Amino acid sequence: MNLLNRLKGKRRSIDDLIFDTVNVLIMILLVVVMLYPMLNTLAISLNASTDTVRGGIRILPRVFTWYNYEHVFTEAQILRAGITSVLRTVIGTGLGVMASAMVAYTISRPHFFLKKFVTIAFVMTMYMNAGLIPTYLLHRDLNLIGSFWVYIFPTLIGVFNIIVIRSFIEGLPETLFESARMDGAGEFTQFFKIALPLSLPVIATVSLFVAVGQWNQWFDVFIYNSSIPELSTLQYELMKVLSNANAAFGSGAGAESQFAASQGGVVDVVTPQSVRAAMTVVVSVPIIMVYPFLQKYFVKGLTIGGVKG
Amino acid sequence: MFKKKSLLLLIFVSLFMFLVACGGDDDASSGTDNGSDSSSDDSGSEDMSNDPITYHYFVGASGDDIHTNETTIGGMLEDETGVNFQMEYLVGDLMEKLGVMVAGGQYPDVVVPDHGIEMMMDAEAFIPLNDLLEEHGQNILAMYSDYLDRITMPDGNIYYLPFGPTINEYVPNPNIDQGAFWIQRGVLKDAGFPEINTLDEYLALIKDYADENPEIDGMNTVPFTGLTYDTSFFTFSNTPNHLAGYPNDGSVQIDMDTHEASVYADSDATKAYLKALNELNNDGYLDQEMFVMNNDDFLAKISSGRVLGFFGYGWQWGTARTSLEEAGNPDQEFMALPVVLEEGIKDQYLDPPSFTQNRGAGITVSAENPERIIQYWDELIQEDMQKLVMWGEEGVHYSVDEDGRFYRTAEQVELSADQDVRKDLGMTVFEWNWPRLNGSFSDGNAVESRRQPEVAKETYRDSDREYLEAYNIDTFSGLFSQPEERPWYPAWSANVEQGSDVALFATRAEELQKRYYPQIVLSDPASFDAEWDKFVNEYRSLDVDTYEEFFTNTVEARLDGDWQYR
Amino acid sequence: MGDAVNVTGSVKKKTKKKRQPKGIKYFLKKSKSQKELLLMSVPFLIWLFIFKYLPLSGWLMAFQDYKPARGFQESEFVGFDQFTFLFQDQRFLEVMRNTLAMSMINLVLGFVMAITLAVLLNELRQVGFKRIVQTISYMPHFLSWVVVAGLVSSALSVDDGIINIMLMNLGIIDTPIMFLGVGEYFWGIIGASDVWKTVGWNSIIYLAAITMIDQEQYEAAEIDGATRLQRILYITLPGIKPVVVILMIMNIGYILESGFEAQYLLMNPMNMGYAENLDIFVLRYGIRQANFSLATAAGMFKTVISFIFLFGANKIAQKLGEARLF
Repeated sequence: MNLLNRLKGKRRSIDDLIFDTVNVLIMILLVVVMLYPMLNTLAISLNASTDTVRGGIRILPRVFTWYNYEHVFTEAQILRAGITSVLRTVIGTGLGVMASAMVAYTISRPHFFLKKFVTIAFVMTMYMNAGLIPTYLLHRDLNLIGSFWVYIFPTLIGVFNIIVIRSFIEGLPETLFESARMDGAGEFTQFFKIALPLSLPVIATVSLFVAVGQWNQWFDVFIYNSSIPELSTLQYELMKVLSNANAAFGSGAGAESQFAASQGGVVDVVTPQSVRAAMTVVVSVPIIMVYPFLQKYFVKGLTIGGVKG
Repeated sequence: MFKKKSLLLLIFVSLFMFLVACGGDDDASSGTDNGSDSSSDDSGSEDMSNDPITYHYFVGASGDDIHTNETTIGGMLEDETGVNFQMEYLVGDLMEKLGVMVAGGQYPDVVVPDHGIEMMMDAEAFIPLNDLLEEHGQNILAMYSDYLDRITMPDGNIYYLPFGPTINEYVPNPNIDQGAFWIQRGVLKDAGFPEINTLDEYLALIKDYADENPEIDGMNTVPFTGLTYDTSFFTFSNTPNHLAGYPNDGSVQIDMDTHEASVYADSDATKAYLKALNELNNDGYLDQEMFVMNNDDFLAKISSGRVLGFFGYGWQWGTARTSLEEAGNPDQEFMALPVVLEEGIKDQYLDPPSFTQNRGAGITVSAENPERIIQYWDELIQEDMQKLVMWGEEGVHYSVDEDGRFYRTAEQVELSADQDVRKDLGMTVFEWNWPRLNGSFSDGNAVESRRQPEVAKETYRDSDREYLEAYNIDTFSGLFSQPEERPWYPAWSANVEQGSDVALFATRAEELQKRYYPQIVLSDPASFDAEWDKFVNEYRSLDVDTYEEFFTNTVEARLDGDWQYR
Repeated sequence: MGDAVNVTGSVKKKTKKKRQPKGIKYFLKKSKSQKELLLMSVPFLIWLFIFKYLPLSGWLMAFQDYKPARGFQESEFVGFDQFTFLFQDQRFLEVMRNTLAMSMINLVLGFVMAITLAVLLNELRQVGFKRIVQTISYMPHFLSWVVVAGLVSSALSVDDGIINIMLMNLGIIDTPIMFLGVGEYFWGIIGASDVWKTVGWNSIIYLAAITMIDQEQYEAAEIDGATRLQRILYITLPGIKPVVVILMIMNIGYILESGFEAQYLLMNPMNMGYAENLDIFVLRYGIRQANFSLATAAGMFKTVISFIFLFGANKIAQKLGEARLF
C-alpha cells in the first residue's frame, strides 16, 4: 500500500519533470520565434537604409546608423503628438473601461429585467457597420470634428470588452452579492465594492486591450482632425513619415526630390522599410511597457479562490 | 423565445425610424453649406489687402506638412502678398478623405485632389477661376496660354490649374527616369559594348553572360526578372507596348495615322513577349520569383548585383540604384536600353511633352477672398520665382556661365540634393502641387534643373563616362529615339469616370492579366498556345469595344481641341 | 461557475412567464425596483443608440448609386443593383470560398493555439520566466501587417528563406518550394502568420480567465494524485470553458471577416485565386471606384450572415447547455 503510493508519487514527479522540461523547451522555442520579428525590426531600424534594401538583415544591423531615428524624430512632431497620444490613451482607457464594466455588471445580474435586451442591443452593433460617410456626418452634426473628444466618445465602449467582463462577473459566486444585498448594499455598492475589485484580472486585460487600441489608432485622426496639428497623435505622425517615404520611392510623384537624392549620391536617405522599422520601435516600445506592469493583477486574481471558499 | 423576437423587432423598428429621420438631416446641412458659400465668393473686392492670412492647402498626395512661410521662397511670397498656407498632405486613402470632405461639405481653402478630381468637380467644390485670373492672374494666364482651352470645362469655366505647362522649348531628360530594358553594365562591357536593338539580341546577350557566370559574388545569377507586385503590375503588362514602339500611353496604343485606340493586352506583341519569357523560363533563365516578389524583394534582388536584366521604370527602383552606387562596383550598376521587338521598329520610350489636364489645384467654395490665393499663385508662376523653386539661389545652388547657361559645380550638386536644404528653401513644397512651369525659361535654360545637360554631365562619374564614350553618346538618353509628336498624349489622362463601364473594364482586364500572364509564361512550351488562347477568350468576353471606343473618342476630341471629353 | 448561470437562467424563465402578460405595467414596476441598474445601463444605451444605431441610416446608400456630392437625397435609387453586382460577379463564389476558408482556418487555429499557449504558460513554475515569455509572445501584435508580411515573404523565399533551408536540411524536400507561388498553400500561410502575430495577444484573455479558477480545486486534485495533464484536462480547461464558448460565439459571428491586410500584402499574381476575399473585392470594385454604395451593400450582406451565424451559434450553445452570449 505504502509502496504503491510512493511508486505512484514517484511516477507522478517523473511525469511532472518530463512535462516541465518539454514545456520549458516549447516556451524557449516560442520566445525565439516571437522575438525574432522584433529583433529583426530593431536591426533594420538601426541599419543604413540603402544597405537594408539589399536584404538579408536578420537580428544584427550590418551598417549601423541612428539616421532612421533622427529622421523620424525630426520629421514627426514626436513630443506634441506623444502628449496627445498619452492623453487619449489614459482618458479613453479610464472612461472606456469604467463604462464597459458598468454595463457588463448590469447584464451580469440575473434578475435585471432588461438583461437580454441590453445584451442583444450591444452585441448586434459588433456586426453592423454604418460605413465611413454616415459616421462622419453624425460626428459632424455632434460637433465632434476638430475636437479631442472624437477620440473618446465614439469608441467609448467596446462590446467585446463588455462581454468579456460580464462573463467574469458571472463567474463570481453569487453568494457574495446576496450577502451584500442582505447588508443593504445597493447595485452601485455591489458594483464598486464587489464586482470591480474581484474582477481585477479581467479589468487589467480589458484595460490593456483598450489602451493598445487607443494608442494604435490613427484613422480617426486622419478622417476628423488631420488639419489640426495640435490634435495629431504619435501613430498619425509616424504614418505621415511613412507615407512620405513611400511616396518618395514608390510612385512617380515627387520625381524632382527623388532625383535630386539619387543624383547627388547622398548617403542619408530613408526608405519605407527603415522608416517603418524605426517607427514601429518608437510607437510600440512605450505601449509594450504597459503589459508587464499589468501582469501583477493577473496574479492578484488568485486571491478570489480564498474568498470563494 | 417570444421575447427575443419582439425585442429584435423593437430594435429594427426604432432603427428604421431613425433611418428616415436623419437621412434628411444629413443632406439638408451639406446642401446649404455648398450653396451659401459659393454665393459669397464673387465679391471681387478691388483693393487687395496685405493683411496676414493663413489658408489651408490640402494635397491628396504625400509630403511634409509645413507652413509655406517657414521656407525662404514662401517667406518672400508672404512679404509680397501677406498670404501664408498651412500645407496638409494625405496620409491614408484619398477616396475616403475626399469622400467625407465632399459629403460633409467642408473643404480646405485649396485642394489638390489628385485622381479624385472628378468627385470634387461633381460636388461643385471648386469655384470658377476665370474672372479671378483675368483680374489678378495675368502671369498665370500668360504662362498657361497654350493650355487654357485644355482646362476650360464645357461650361466655359476654369476650375483648377494643372501643373507644368511647357513654355518655350521642351527639354528632354538626359537620364532615363521612365521605362526601359535595363542591363547590368558589366554584361555590355564583357561583350565589348555591342549595340543592342531587339529583344532577341538583348536576351541572347544576357543568356551568354549567365552561362559564363552562373554565380555572381557567390549568389546564383538571375538573368532576367521584373516587377509584377500589386499596383506595380502595369510595369509588366506595359512592356509589350514599349517593345512595339509606343510610349507609355496606358492600356491602349494609338495608331499614328488613324488615331484609333486599340488594346494590346492580347496583341501579337504581347504574345511575342510572353513567348520569349516562356522560352526563357523553359531554358532556366527566368527568375522563378518574378511573379511572387513584392516590391521590397524586387529592390533587394536588384541591389544584390546578381540581376543581369529587367524591364522597369526608372523611378521605381531609385533606392536600389543608390544602393548599387554606394556598393562601389560600377559594373554592377544598370544602363537603360531602348529594346524593341524586332528590327525596323522605332523605339518610343521617351515621353513626349505632356500636360496632365485632369490633375490640378483648385480653390474651394470654403475659401474667403480667393483672389488673394490667385495673387499668390500669380507671383509664384513668374520666371524669377520658378528659378528659385527649380534651381535655388544663383551662386549658392547653381552658377551661370558667360553664355548665361545654368550649371552646377560638384558642391552645388551636393548642396541642392540635400533634402533639408531643399525643404528650407521651399523647393520641396513648391516644385509640385502648385502652379509651375515645364520646358525652358525665356533665357533658354531648362526649367527643371535635372533636365539641363550641364547639370546631368556634372553628376556623371568616370565610370559613367566609360560607358557614354563606348557608345559615343553625351547622356544616357542618347541611345533613345526622340519622341514623335503625339498631340493627344498621354491617353491615360482620359477622363474615365469612376465606376463607369470603362473603369470597370480596366479593373477586370487587369485582374485577368494578373491571373493569366504568369500561367502563360510559366507553362510548358507545348501548351503555351492553349494557355494564350484561353486568356484571349476570357479577355475578349469583356467589353473591349466600349473601352477602345472611349479612348478613340478621347483622342479624336483632343485632336479637335476638346480635352474634357468624358 | 457554469452552474450559477444555468440555475439563475431557469429561475428567470419562470418569473418571466408569470409576469409577461402585464406588459407596460410590468415594465414600469421593474423599472422602479431596478432603477439603479437602469441608471447604470440606460445612459450607455443612449450612447449606443446615437453612435451605433443612428448612423445606420447610411445603409440607405446600399440601394442607391450614392455620390458624396449629391448626398442621400439626390443620389439615384438603384434598388438592388449593388447587391446584384456583388452576387453576380464571376468571381463571387471564389471570393466567398476564400473568405470562408481563411476565416475558418484563422478561427480554429487561433482558438486552439491561444488556449494551448495560455495553458502551457500557466503551467510554468518560475514566475519570472513566465512573465518574460508572456511579454515576448505578445510583441508581434505590435508589428504592423506590412512588417509581418515582409518577414513572412523573406522566410518563405526560395533563395535563402529559413523555412526552405530547414526543410532541405531535414531532408523533407529536395528542391526549395516557392510557397507564395502556389495558390493551395496560401490559406495555410495566412493561418500560420496570423497565429504567429496574434497568439500571444489572444492568450492574454485566457490567462486572465485561468486566474479566476478556484485554487482549491488544484490542491484537491494534487492530493488525489492527478497528473499535470489530468489537471489541465479536468480543471483548467473546464474552468475557462465559459469564456471560450462566449468568445467562440462572438467570433463565429465574424465568419466573413477573414482579414484584409495579410491577404492583400501576401497576394501576388500566382496565388490571387486563393487570396482574394470579400474585403479585397470590395476595395477593388467599391472604394477604389469611389463606389461607397457597393461597400455598404457588402457590409449589409456581411451583417446578415453574421447575425445568422451569431444567433445560430448561440442557440447551439444553449442547446448544449453551455454558456451563451445572450
